[in-house]
Amino acid sequence: MTAKAKPDALIHPITRLSICGLLAAGADWVEFAALRDAAGISDSVLSKQSRVLEDAGYVEVRKGAVGRRPRTWFRLTAEGRQAVEGHLAWLTQLEGVVSASTRDVQQARPLPGDRDQPRRVLPPLLGSA
Amino acid sequence: MRDVAGDPAALEQLRVQRGRLADRMRAPWWYLTGIAIMYALVFAFPFASRFLGASILPFFVAALVVAVPLQWGWTRVTGMKMGFRSLSYPGPGRPARYAMVVVCLAAMGTEHFLIDRGLPAAAIVVAVLAVAAEVAAQQTLLRAIRQDLRAGGGPV
Repeated sequence: MTAKAKPDALIHPITRLSICGLLAAGADWVEFAALRDAAGISDSVLSKQSRVLEDAGYVEVRKGAVGRRPRTWFRLTAEGRQAVEGHLAWLTQLEGVVSASTRDVQQARPLPGDRDQPRRVLPPLLGSA
Repeated sequence: MRDVAGDPAALEQLRVQRGRLADRMRAPWWYLTGIAIMYALVFAFPFASRFLGASILPFFVAALVVAVPLQWGWTRVTGMKMGFRSLSYPGPGRPARYAMVVVCLAAMGTEHFLIDRGLPAAAIVVAVLAVAAEVAAQQTLLRAIRQDLRAGGGPV
């Protein structure tokens, strides 16, 4: 991923992250049911969150019908794709920091009875910046 | 709404969700059968051209008649439109795309060659093998697209 790591408050909630992350996976358009099933969310949650993303200009929505059944398709806009890639890059960095910290904590864990061993301090997370 | 800031598993969850999305790209039997029929029509052209004097247009139209509903059904089943990806698209499916073009051209040329030398049975064998190769290449391509979806590395 070449995008500049940058957190995006709109994509930060996990449901919106799921929706955007799935739309950024590689498909051009993703249908409502496919997105709902892959994200494991309800119809109403998807409708509500996709509306928020659409209003922000991150997601484009196309409505159609097959016979009498309505079909809704989603895709990321260029702006949305840039924001998602930046946010995912930021999360990847965050994940790296967290796993490095976990490793440090495990290495620094004192042996039973060894109370004099100095404690290591976790580095601050990127999110706190 | 749950926040991801304190959730290091957010990316892992997204990977699982992308895996679910990718699993929708598994070809059902009717899709592969349709692909085989479409290529059978394509590879039947050298025979029809030689023995019936048919032009390429009816074969082109017949292949389209199979391909268009097939693609429509595939899009409906998967819930995804993948968009057009040219041969230059640098995904893991590129070798399969090249293989499909090369097999198609090589098979057509070989069929013409064999028919012209009075070996129609050998040409039929080539056509059957070419159909099987095209179906296999299509499956390889779908596997590559699934990998792409899992990794989140697709174009667009």
